[in-house]
Amino acid sequence: MRIYEELFIVRPDASEEESEAFVEQIRQVIVQGGGAVDKVDKWGLRKLAYRIDRRDEGFYILIQFSCPPGAVKELERRLRVSDLVLKFLTVRIDEKLKRLEKRKKQREKRARRKPAPAAAAAPGHPVAEEMIAPAVPGQPDKE
Amino acid sequence: MVEQRSGRPVSASQQPTGTDKAGMAKKQYFRRKKMCRFCMEKVDDISYKEVRMLNAFITERGKIVPRRLSGVCAPHQKRLAQAIKQARSIALLPFSPEI
Repeated sequence: MRIYEELFIVRPDASEEESEAFVEQIRQVIVQGGGAVDKVDKWGLRKLAYRIDRRDEGFYILIQFSCPPGAVKELERRLRVSDLVLKFLTVRIDEKLKRLEKRKKQREKRARRKPAPAAAAAPGHPVAEEMIAPAVPGQPDKE
Repeated sequence: MVEQRSGRPVSASQQPTGTDKAGMAKKQYFRRKKMCRFCMEKVDDISYKEVRMLNAFITERGKIVPRRLSGVCAPHQKRLAQAIKQARSIALLPFSPEI
């Protein structure tokens, strides 16, 4: 199973129901391919950086899902065929997520290591005080 | 932004180039050492979705700013370039400015 991110642009003149139905359709394609949809994020209407099919705006939809490698092919075919979709982009993100996880762990490890010497220094301080402390009252005792 | 003379954006830190053509290197180059922004801010991931951030790394002509100008380190520049290209492909960033 791999984790993917699919960002695609739906025609701006498509109705809410149409895009909703299309997302549902895609969900089914993914499920049939043996995967599962994790997240659906609708960015809403956005201005395109350049014209696509004589359109200046588009409805961006982001889907995060996990599925076996082959299933993406079918999904992309569907997106290509659909007249609702202006453009799409599939990005594999499982390795990226893994890397982020690793980074996070490393950072936590480092954070844990850092307070450790600080904690060691903190008890060290009283130790130093103890060494001084007997010496100071010791002097008046002698006298 | 900064005005362009040779078609190449001049970053603020590079501006005081004290080159007097009259000769004699009286003024020395005073250039603050550039640091990689992503390393300093400890950015883990450069995503094609952060359009505003990516916008800072393209010129008016829509080109990717070379790292000799932006000061981004090599590993981050690689990811940055990748992200910009992905963003272009999904019309989040322009390939070239619209006329």
